[in-house]
Amino acid sequence: MKTTYLSTSVLALTLGTSALAEAPSAKAVLENYANIAEAKYQDSLITAKALQAAVDALIASPSDETLKAAKDAWLASRNPYQQTEVYRFGNAIVDDWEGKVNAWPLDEGLIDYVDASYGLSEENDYAALNVVATPVFTLSGTEVDATNITPELLEATLHEADGVEANVATGYHAIEFLLWGQDLNGHGAGAGNRPATDFAKGDACTGGNCDRRAAYLKAATDLLVSDLEFMAGAWAEGGEGRATVMANENDGLVAMLTGMGSLSYGEQAGERMRLGLMLNDPEEEHDCFSDNTHNSHYYDGKGIQNVYLGSYTRVDGTVVSGASLSDLVKAKDAALDAEMTGKLDVTMAALGKMKDAADNGFAYDQMLERGNAEGEALIMGGVNGLVDQTKSIERVVAVLGLNQLEFEGSDSLDNPKAVFE
Amino acid sequence: MLKPFATALALLLPATLTAQPAPERVGLVDRVLDQHILPGFDDLAKATSQLAMVAAQNCSPDNEDLREAYGRAFDAWVRVSHLRFGPSEVQNRAFALAFWPDPRNKTPKALARLLADQDVALLAPEEYTELSIAARGFYALEYLLYEPQLQQPAAYACALVQAGSADIARLSAAINADWADYADLMRAPHADGPYKTNAEATQELFKALLTGLQFTTDMRLGRPLGTFDRPRPKRAEARRSQRSTRHIALAVDELEELALMLAREGSGLQAELAVAFEDTHQAIDAIDSPDLSSVATPFGWLQADIVRLNLHSRITEELMPPLGEELGVPAGFNALDGD
Repeated sequence: MKTTYLSTSVLALTLGTSALAEAPSAKAVLENYANIAEAKYQDSLITAKALQAAVDALIASPSDETLKAAKDAWLASRNPYQQTEVYRFGNAIVDDWEGKVNAWPLDEGLIDYVDASYGLSEENDYAALNVVATPVFTLSGTEVDATNITPELLEATLHEADGVEANVATGYHAIEFLLWGQDLNGHGAGAGNRPATDFAKGDACTGGNCDRRAAYLKAATDLLVSDLEFMAGAWAEGGEGRATVMANENDGLVAMLTGMGSLSYGEQAGERMRLGLMLNDPEEEHDCFSDNTHNSHYYDGKGIQNVYLGSYTRVDGTVVSGASLSDLVKAKDAALDAEMTGKLDVTMAALGKMKDAADNGFAYDQMLERGNAEGEALIMGGVNGLVDQTKSIERVVAVLGLNQLEFEGSDSLDNPKAVFE
Repeated sequence: MLKPFATALALLLPATLTAQPAPERVGLVDRVLDQHILPGFDDLAKATSQLAMVAAQNCSPDNEDLREAYGRAFDAWVRVSHLRFGPSEVQNRAFALAFWPDPRNKTPKALARLLADQDVALLAPEEYTELSIAARGFYALEYLLYEPQLQQPAAYACALVQAGSADIARLSAAINADWADYADLMRAPHADGPYKTNAEATQELFKALLTGLQFTTDMRLGRPLGTFDRPRPKRAEARRSQRSTRHIALAVDELEELALMLAREGSGLQAELAVAFEDTHQAIDAIDSPDLSSVATPFGWLQADIVRLNLHSRITEELMPPLGEELGVPAGFNALDGD
């Protein structure tokens, strides 16, 4: 990569265009993009394996300490994963897969017991199925034997049961619910408060069916680890994710920018942050059981920024970096690169302010409360930054002369091959 | 799985797009503003002001004048519902006017809570605007007018109808008022404005067309259609007031108008668009039920699916890429990106 760089700059100098920054090759930018994806999914896998070990310890010997250790491991696993979300939109292999891993929001009553205030759903007949308490049940007319709770059962039978997306049976948020339980504090501070005895053996068991709850938690965690193994492999040398991105320079760059733009605008600024605020609803928190939403939003934003800048700091502190979109844009339009970089900074400053406030005790669900002007300002700071940076991302698409932009919707990318044919 | 299409909604703009920028279309933005956008928001402001006046006098849910005024105001909203940029997005106005879809039933839950608490103080304008958007706007009002379980106690329900109607009128008036200045920002792009170039303003209009097509395809049609084996008629938009199919017709009407303005006058593309929209209208007319309950039958499902196929495969997939090329703008990002 270094050599490419040097020869480009020599060429630029001889052509007398030294005023423009040297442009890396699109190939180098895409290679670095794939390297960062691999590192992020590797980090997600490493931290998920630590979660798996902590879950095994919790199940073997349920106590406040082992439960807390599992929760801490879950929280640690979220930070690298959220930074991968910028790979979702635009990379079909990620988009097709991520529903198993990070689906949200969920009708958690599908999985386990819920409070009486949970209410019934007009759209979901299985919103209160409670698989933990129900070894055999009928689903869309078919009898299901769930005596043994296995990754296969969760993945193939329960997840999105009856075609309802809120039937989330797998992934981070299912595990989160099993570790924390429902957050019944409303707009007050405090997360879900599931007792460790929900996993206890014999008479000490609370909440009923502790063995089945433990089996569910184990199956969901094992499945998460194997899903992340798959995705880390997909971005390794020879993996499908990497190969797809490297196959065509234009399409690869479009995938990068589609990921940045769709996550910034429709997904994060709209669906996750602004809508929750306008509904004043603590259930609209992305990580609602654990009260970890501030981190979830912050690291989503961080992921967008590090894709543009082409530099990612791994969980062990090492840095993966190389040729970046920023370099590419700078060579064509230095002012636009400054605009883009500046807007990403503004967004991260705003998300950082929101995260700091939450870390210092101003919980995200308190920010969402009706009439809480300070909380609204903190959240809207992030929303405005994300909306504003999307305009610059569109300008980047134009300046780079990219000739396609996915018209991304909930239904898109189901069959990307058909589109490219 | 709520995934109606086998193929992706993707726009592939031909490689020639950026190599040869399209010649500027003189007066295009002006024409769309003057003939499509501004009259639409003016109608919305008038119809919602009328609704608030009627509600102030007749707040009983089965009052015919009230329901008629509500219907006219909702019509006017649906006609501009694809124009989600600029003034409608300031202070989340459009979100407060139109919170739908509502897969987790937040609107009936929020209204039930208000009716149970009967807190009169919340109905004062400055308090009311702090309410969850699930309890505000056209879709909440629909529950109050057409869902018998959300009409008691009558006195508070009445006050809620009046407060909601007044809120809708205020929001609509604010959007309409702001459009005067915002239109200038689109007509005369400059470095410090939301649009730096005429191309960026044109792209916004193209994006509005795409957003509207996607919303009607995925939400108004896709949600109730579900799958052939598992249709979801209860997910139809505004089914309680029997307005589901009407909304599709109104939206398609407006999308047609915008598409035909964006296409070059007298071009083959414009003619193709006109035929495709005409076929879509005929397909909508053939739908048997005003509330889309007919999607529960195989024949009814197919009737509605034909509309979706027209909007998706024919208009969006086939005709939008050449339109983008003609305009010289990419599709960009819209609020429906994401999950």
